[in-house]
Amino acid sequence: MTHKTTPPSVLNQLDAVYAIWLREIKRAIRDRGQLIGGVSRPLLWVLIMGIGLNPYFRGEVYGEVRFIVPYTYIQFLFPAVIALNMMYTAVQSAISVIWDREFGFLREVLVSPASRAAVLLGKVLGGTTVALFHGILVLLLARFTDVALSWPAVFKALGLMLLLGFGLTSLGIVIANRVKSFEGFGVFSNLIILPLYFLSSSIFPLDPALTRVQAVVTYPEWLVLLVSWNPMTYAVDALRGALINFYQFDPSLGLIVLGGMCGVFFLWALWDFSRQ
Amino acid sequence: MAELAVEVKNISKQFGRTLALDQVSLEVPAGELFALLGPNGAGKTTLVHILCTIHLPDAGQAKIAGFDVVNQAVMARQSLGVVFQEPSLDSRLTVFENLDFHGRIYAVPTALRKQRIPEVLELVELTKWRDALVRNLSGGMKRRLEIARALMHDPALLILDEPTVGLDAQTRSRIWEYIYALQKERGMTVLVTTHYIDEVEGCDRVCIIDKGKIQALDTPEALRATYGQEVLWVEPKDALARAAILGKYPQALEHQGKLGVRNLSEGQVAAFFAEFGTRIRSSNLQTASLEDVFLALTGRAIRDQAAGGKDAMLEFGKRGGEHTQ
Repeated sequence: MTHKTTPPSVLNQLDAVYAIWLREIKRAIRDRGQLIGGVSRPLLWVLIMGIGLNPYFRGEVYGEVRFIVPYTYIQFLFPAVIALNMMYTAVQSAISVIWDREFGFLREVLVSPASRAAVLLGKVLGGTTVALFHGILVLLLARFTDVALSWPAVFKALGLMLLLGFGLTSLGIVIANRVKSFEGFGVFSNLIILPLYFLSSSIFPLDPALTRVQAVVTYPEWLVLLVSWNPMTYAVDALRGALINFYQFDPSLGLIVLGGMCGVFFLWALWDFSRQ
Repeated sequence: MAELAVEVKNISKQFGRTLALDQVSLEVPAGELFALLGPNGAGKTTLVHILCTIHLPDAGQAKIAGFDVVNQAVMARQSLGVVFQEPSLDSRLTVFENLDFHGRIYAVPTALRKQRIPEVLELVELTKWRDALVRNLSGGMKRRLEIARALMHDPALLILDEPTVGLDAQTRSRIWEYIYALQKERGMTVLVTTHYIDEVEGCDRVCIIDKGKIQALDTPEALRATYGQEVLWVEPKDALARAAILGKYPQALEHQGKLGVRNLSEGQVAAFFAEFGTRIRSSNLQTASLEDVFLALTGRAIRDQAAGGKDAMLEFGKRGGEHTQ
């Protein structure tokens, strides 16, 4: 009998990260429901809602009828749908954490010599990869939306999506650690994803060219407040900037908020995880 | 390698107001098949969870293969293979993928992993299911796979927490055949918890635990000798014989026309037959069972209890609810 008596090395920990990442990818590939959702959601939002509302995306601002933003509605909406699709996959990761916890697989991982950080990193990177893939599914629809993609724009968008996926998956895990039991996806969808999405200036613009007073005249104050507090607002804005070069906020703000989301939520999730 | 695979000293653990473990101490030498016997809620699983480093003890010390489960948790984990009471396989992965995953998170080098996967599959006779999704396996096959998985990193100690719960009799005995084989052929140290008394007969030593306390710890034979009772059942030929036996042994038990004389020594048995041998129709010696031992120690019979509150969620999962959108 030659039992291993050395603690796992850094390389061993990386192997553990890879194993957990690979598991996430395999599960995602085998989950038809998730894939169907990932394909049908952008089709509905872009092709039906986007095309349907396209002609009405103009309005009267101070007596003058014009496009509120210098883009068509479908162009305006397109980057936000990427964020939406990625939010759904992040929630799937969160649910898989609850599932693993309640039905044992988490135990298999927690009694292994792999460190908590390695376990969490593998999980988050797996979720990020799947989210990135679902974001790319939306990008493939670009030609139907009059969004002309250049390679630099695509790479810029992919970089932002990577950060968004990482931050959202970490957030999902933070939420999952606080959910005691799970009875359905609808709760997540209606309580977390859709509010964050609708309040991110995704489907309507919150033109910051307007002064605060003008904005509050156009929209109720509570709505303006909620939108400006929502970190997703700045993520969507950054994506919009990368893809159609339209920013409603300071262009650097998106990157800062996304980076902050990644750091804060990952460390928060790690803190939770280390106490288990 | 340390002589002792498990060393537990004065471990206590409290959950809220319930004292799950109260000053528990035990030692399992390397190579032993050790059973932890007790009803549900006795503290067996709590002890297993402390040994697996899932829970921290409130007081006391525990070591796995010489590694302290609190201060050297990573090394203790590396030395330990566990089969939990609740299944912990990923049902969306194949048999091979579950084993490979385990090998990787336990830092088994690639070459060894490739060598061991067919080995452990052969051991639990799942070779031809290598590429099947785990969700398509039966309950017994999943259990066998979990045993195979726990062996992937060649642990010094294998812990099985209620490995036969929920399985049919045939599958139960098959699981035990694997456990015996592991001990005899591989010299594996095995710690099994169970609440089935008949299962611990073949173990080297049995620790009876109830209400968080160790009630007795010895070989099955010694436990029976100390706490059990033997009964000599005889069927008298006629009423006269019956009266004579009862006259000599007024404490005798009566059951379906038979008389049961308790706790006779060998010489007393011989004397009984010398005196009444021609006046009885049949006789048989009922040896002490561990069931009696358990009853004597805890004052109640061991039995199953209702399942926990996760059933609703589990049902939901079975309907495929995990990914409903």
